[in-house]
Amino acid sequence: MKRRSIVALCVTAVLAAAIAATTSGATQKATGNSITVWLQTDAQSGWPDVVAAANQKFQSDHPGWTANVQYQSWGDHLQKLDATLAAGGGNGPDVVEMGDTETTKYMAAGAFAPLTKSQFDNSATWLGSLAKSGTYSGKLYAVPYYAGSRVVTYRTDLFKKAGIKVPATLAQYQADAKKLLAKNNKKGFSPVYIAGTDWYVAMSFVFDYGGGIATRVSGQWKGLLASKNSIAGLTAYKNFFTAASRASKTTDETHPNPYDVYAQGQVASMLGPSWFSCCVGKKYTGSTAQFVMPGHVKGQAMPGFLGGSDLAVPVTSSNKALAADWIADFTSTSSERALQKKGNIPNATNLLGNTVNERAASRSWFVPTAKHWVDVENGNILRNMLAQILTGKLSIKQAAQSASDNIASVLNQP
Amino acid sequence: METSRRRRRAWGRAGRGSVPYLLIAPVVAVIAVILGYPLYYLVRISLQQYGLFELIQHKGIAIGLRNYHSVLHDQVFWHTLVRTVVFTAANVSLTMVIGMLLALLLTVVSAPVRVLLSSGLVLVWSMPVVVAVQVWYWMTNYENGVLNYVLTKLGIGDYSQHDWYGTPFSQLSMVTLLIVWGALPFVVITLYAGLAQVPGDLLEAAAVDGAAPWRAFRDITVPLLKPILLILTSLSIIWDFGVFTQPYLLIGQSKITSGNYLMSIYLFEEGYFKTDYGRGAAISLLMLVIVAVLSVVYVRRMVRIGVSE
Repeated sequence: MKRRSIVALCVTAVLAAAIAATTSGATQKATGNSITVWLQTDAQSGWPDVVAAANQKFQSDHPGWTANVQYQSWGDHLQKLDATLAAGGGNGPDVVEMGDTETTKYMAAGAFAPLTKSQFDNSATWLGSLAKSGTYSGKLYAVPYYAGSRVVTYRTDLFKKAGIKVPATLAQYQADAKKLLAKNNKKGFSPVYIAGTDWYVAMSFVFDYGGGIATRVSGQWKGLLASKNSIAGLTAYKNFFTAASRASKTTDETHPNPYDVYAQGQVASMLGPSWFSCCVGKKYTGSTAQFVMPGHVKGQAMPGFLGGSDLAVPVTSSNKALAADWIADFTSTSSERALQKKGNIPNATNLLGNTVNERAASRSWFVPTAKHWVDVENGNILRNMLAQILTGKLSIKQAAQSASDNIASVLNQP
Repeated sequence: METSRRRRRAWGRAGRGSVPYLLIAPVVAVIAVILGYPLYYLVRISLQQYGLFELIQHKGIAIGLRNYHSVLHDQVFWHTLVRTVVFTAANVSLTMVIGMLLALLLTVVSAPVRVLLSSGLVLVWSMPVVVAVQVWYWMTNYENGVLNYVLTKLGIGDYSQHDWYGTPFSQLSMVTLLIVWGALPFVVITLYAGLAQVPGDLLEAAAVDGAAPWRAFRDITVPLLKPILLILTSLSIIWDFGVFTQPYLLIGQSKITSGNYLMSIYLFEEGYFKTDYGRGAAISLLMLVIVAVLSVVYVRRMVRIGVSE
């Protein structure tokens, strides 16, 4: 009897062990002399020609070498990077694109190789927040790649049909949404398409009303979402969403991509990165334009999230010098000019122009610069709060209070 | 019986009992390499502080049982455990009941229908999980899913732009549907094979003696199928308790919160997303113990059946 139990336990343990086994995706290393570059899919859909030009330059400077660009998605690229860091042995990527909110944790852990600032074009005039996100203890670990602000991409023909012009205030935009809706009664049509849990948009409302996410008070992080101003911003967001967007209240801004819904003719305007204009569909390319999202105070733009990307060389790379050369090619003045033409903000102040995107960057906000901020993003604390608010599962105050406490506890982790 | 005993004696004389060990050695070696070592490593990491910094250095810091302590004092862990147990129970019972009904159906339908039904099942089986998730995701899509379209057209109600992933309950219900759908082929085909082994004359005799079909099913079919039922149930428990791909992909990363965690997702979020591999290892070992406890009863009975035969 006893032995049988032991046998049973052993069998169970072996079977159960199978569930504990996890797999990790390994990167595909091209054979021959090549470096591996991980870029986000934004480059794949938005500016593949700029990538190709950099590769060409790299190959002509280094005969016999090629750059093997592999596209990653924001959702899981960090897990993939972790797996290659764990494996070591030079099989991982030689260059990785990092969001500027993600770099701190990795630089602190020694994941990137130091770089020489003078090797890169315009390094003296790099955009402040981007340069900061690539520097740790005075050393450069990541090169600014590009920044992007968020603007409104809209259908000029539909605005004309509804008899409206570019709105000057948030209230006017909300009233315009009703006019647009009256002229387009197709089911599921959104005057302003916003994905319910698009926290980049929602936090813009919060910052517009003078609120914030979290602040550091004598060494401790304190949540700000439940403050009076933040609540006012969240309330404005809920009202605006209810009036203007027929998108799912619980889904993020990539399922589906707003521009895909736009290309189907179901959207009069949408809020998002300025490169959204890339993919509005052939039918609407001629009737698409952009404007700066108005704030609730007349004459003031709504602060937009100033996101950006950096390029870094993982310590596990076996071709660090070549990797740095590729980064220099990809962030050269001509390359940055090309990125600017696609609707991005170039990485240096001396290259800045006067496009709608660059004007929108005049009022901007950024996430708390904390080591654990990336855990707040990955934990979907803000998205969950927005879903609760929009579906009415919790009151704005309750949802904001619980998210605020949650964020503070994550950021205050050792 | 007699011949096998004689053969065993012959082996014993020749190899002095070492042959069985030699025969089993390759299997033991393979298990030791692919399961034993990772398991040992898992235990070691679970006793260490092992984050991103340690990952790059390839060296953890020993901290004793602190990871276990922090997991067991985490409210989220206990909520997740209860949710996962309920989720598993729902999945396994739905799979077994519907599987049994379909297997019984297979025994009574005409040959062409049987071929149609079983090829449908095999098609489900042959579909890769990730593809299946994508198909389900599209069918239940908020913007233009076919499910909402059909429900609206049938006049059941206005389901245009109905959000099937609005609450944790409905999210997990969609996952349950997908999992049960995917698990049915294996269960149905195995049970159908088992039903073919139930002697027809026994059922006939029962019918002659006036036993109702339900009575015959309960007292003849089920006892004869018991070994198969036990194996299927315990395997289903193990699979469903640790299921990851379906919930993670169908619900989607951006909707995963501590309010809809299942055990494997909790493990993934804590271990990988927060790059705290020590804590992740502790969670996975706790999961292993829980699954062992959950299925030990079944496995014990299985072993007992094997011995008594």
